[in-house]
Amino acid sequence: MGAAIGTGDGKKSVNVELNIVPFIDLMSCLTAFLLVTAVWVNIAQINIQPKGKTRDTTNVQQDDEHVTLSVLVQADRIWVGLSRINQFQEIPKKGDQQDWERFENTLKENKASAFFADRTDIEVAAESTSQSKVEYQDIIHAMDVAVKVGFVDVGLTDPNGLAARPSL
Amino acid sequence: MPVHSAGPRLYRSVPFKHLVKKSGSTAGQRAANISLNLTPFVDMMTILVTFLLMVFSSTGQLLQAQKGLELPIADSHDTLQQAPVIIVTTDEITYQGQLVATVDSVLRDDSPTFKIDALFERLDAAAKKIKEDVGMGKLPKDLAKACEDAKQNIRPQPGKICPDGLAILQADESTDARLINKIVNTAKAAGFDNLLFAVKNK
Repeated sequence: MGAAIGTGDGKKSVNVELNIVPFIDLMSCLTAFLLVTAVWVNIAQINIQPKGKTRDTTNVQQDDEHVTLSVLVQADRIWVGLSRINQFQEIPKKGDQQDWERFENTLKENKASAFFADRTDIEVAAESTSQSKVEYQDIIHAMDVAVKVGFVDVGLTDPNGLAARPSL
Repeated sequence: MPVHSAGPRLYRSVPFKHLVKKSGSTAGQRAANISLNLTPFVDMMTILVTFLLMVFSSTGQLLQAQKGLELPIADSHDTLQQAPVIIVTTDEITYQGQLVATVDSVLRDDSPTFKIDALFERLDAAAKKIKEDVGMGKLPKDLAKACEDAKQNIRPQPGKICPDGLAILQADESTDARLINKIVNTAKAAGFDNLLFAVKNK
């Protein structure tokens, strides 16, 4: 590996020169390989179960035993409702964005309540029209917040399929 | 053509005269060898390799980038797993790389079925094939175990979900929620009752 460089005066040299050519070769190959296989965007997933009724379904069996936490995302507000009790909380838009902070706090309050302390299910729906469009990013954000709070069993449904739907 | 003896040589046209080592040369002659300082190069390579090793992902890229497709951003860090992919860009809907419908045509369609027929046909066929494969035990051990766990309602580990009824939805962040509802309903009707929404990490 190393080679002593002679000083020329008969003494043993103290300098050692390492042959770094194999090292540079290895580094070059490794750099090329890693650059080619690099993944610059980390993609993750949110797992959801489609649920509720669709227009194809004529009858949906309602679960009368449990109170269900329902979230309805609209273009200008978010509704958080409890089925059976029919209690709704309205979270209006803050500026040009939904009030995600208040939404998260509302979900946290519900998670801490006796109904949902040991439950992880929630249903989310988005109501969009051609005039007031709800974007996919908002649905993802709502589901992401729900998962973060502890409602990891997210069910995505049609607005008509929500267990608790506010009637205006 | 003149014949030169083998060995390193500095061309006259290259102005590297300042690099020529004078100490080792014999009196009155220029040295033929030059010495390059490789330390900064090795430093740079080391830093680059370290950085690339840190960002290296052993799971690889499951999804491909497409024009008109910007994934939504989320906090979730669950690993994505292999499954049939439904892609929704700003213009079109594709399944496994094949065009199924255009976004405009689906949004214009007010049919009472509330599902996308072309997508349903493909998903239905895919779901039947996957179910058949699962039934015949053509699965890796960990996924076979996930399928057994699913029958007993045991929560799967992220990235180890039973492939039966599992699909990935890769949609643009600005996609209309009506379209998402239709796709989700179509997938459910075809037997895909477990959807993975592909998101970008914050």
